[in-house]
Amino acid sequence: MTQIPTLATTRLTLRAPCADDFDVLAQFYASDRSKHVGGPATPEQSWRMLATELGHWSLRGYGRWAVEETATGAFAGVIGPWYPLGWPEPEIGWDLMNGFEGKGYATEAAMAALQYAYSTLGWPTAISLVSPPNAGSRKVAQRMGATKEGMFTHERHGPLEVWRHMSPDDLGSGGMEAYA
Amino acid sequence: MTCASFHIPRIETNRLILRGPEPDDYPDFKATFTSYRARFMGGPLNPYESWMLYAAEIGHWNIRGYGMWMIHDKETDKTYGMAGGWKPAMWPEAEIAWVIWPDAAGHGIALEAADAARNYLYTQLGWEGAVSYIDPKNLDSIRLAERLGATKDKSATTIDGNDAVYRHPSPADLDGTQLAHGIEMEISHYADPLFKPKGWAID
Repeated sequence: MTQIPTLATTRLTLRAPCADDFDVLAQFYASDRSKHVGGPATPEQSWRMLATELGHWSLRGYGRWAVEETATGAFAGVIGPWYPLGWPEPEIGWDLMNGFEGKGYATEAAMAALQYAYSTLGWPTAISLVSPPNAGSRKVAQRMGATKEGMFTHERHGPLEVWRHMSPDDLGSGGMEAYA
Repeated sequence: MTCASFHIPRIETNRLILRGPEPDDYPDFKATFTSYRARFMGGPLNPYESWMLYAAEIGHWNIRGYGMWMIHDKETDKTYGMAGGWKPAMWPEAEIAWVIWPDAAGHGIALEAADAARNYLYTQLGWEGAVSYIDPKNLDSIRLAERLGATKDKSATTIDGNDAVYRHPSPADLDGTQLAHGIEMEISHYADPLFKPKGWAID
């Protein structure tokens, strides 16, 4: 049994995904925006994806949070440490739900997730995988101070860019300030 | 909120222990779901899809408060398959589902596990009934549904038109009835080879 913790950033609350998030997640997976992360997908597949997000916590001891806009309680994204079978190494993943782009939410939540991965999970390093046509996602990686390292080809998702995040030391010494 | 932390209950039967799916059990799950055996369960899957489904089996518990148990041998802890309650989005009704690893078939394990799971869902979680969605070509599974007392419900809504709906007896139908005793007797005959029938009717 894994207890999924809750984290807070300036504007966001990172909490366990749950049943109430299904409609918004299904809208994301029904939309063209999900094409970079394995979609579009049917509502049933979206529900299984929600279940998979939760099961990942049990299998790995960590996983992605449902990110809430603290002021409104709206479900804005799925962000956090992510390491399904066949991934080259553990990554910080981010999917913003429809309508929550352009606010810096992915960067804000992903930075909190990266700090959690380093300080609580003890990761020595972290990457993020970006689908080459996904310019918005690449910008998040760049804003976080990550550097492109190469390519990885996944059996289902195809070719993906590997972005290496700042090391725990660089992050701890205030490296984030340059990008805030 | 159950999602942040859900404790999967443990069920003990005569020969089996049913527990939540654990990371160490994954290789057994993968072996079946990436094989031809999975053809009636949406498979065969590639290794990535299989892992994602395994995670979903666990997350189902967080979301619904019930799900699929991993079936273990009480003495050796070896896994034999899974059984439990299953209801992804768009499922018309909650289902009692099962899958037995190919090596473990033929020993009444699915019957014993599915019966225990059904009893738990009925008596502990208050289910008033259940169905099983079965591929009409999956004869072993249809036979198991019938041994559990389920009957084909032609008027029930199917998942996608490619499955048959078997409706399980209600809690009242299983409360000290001849049907319940018959299931219990069949399970005990599997468990004690002294009473093993000499053969099955072939027609």
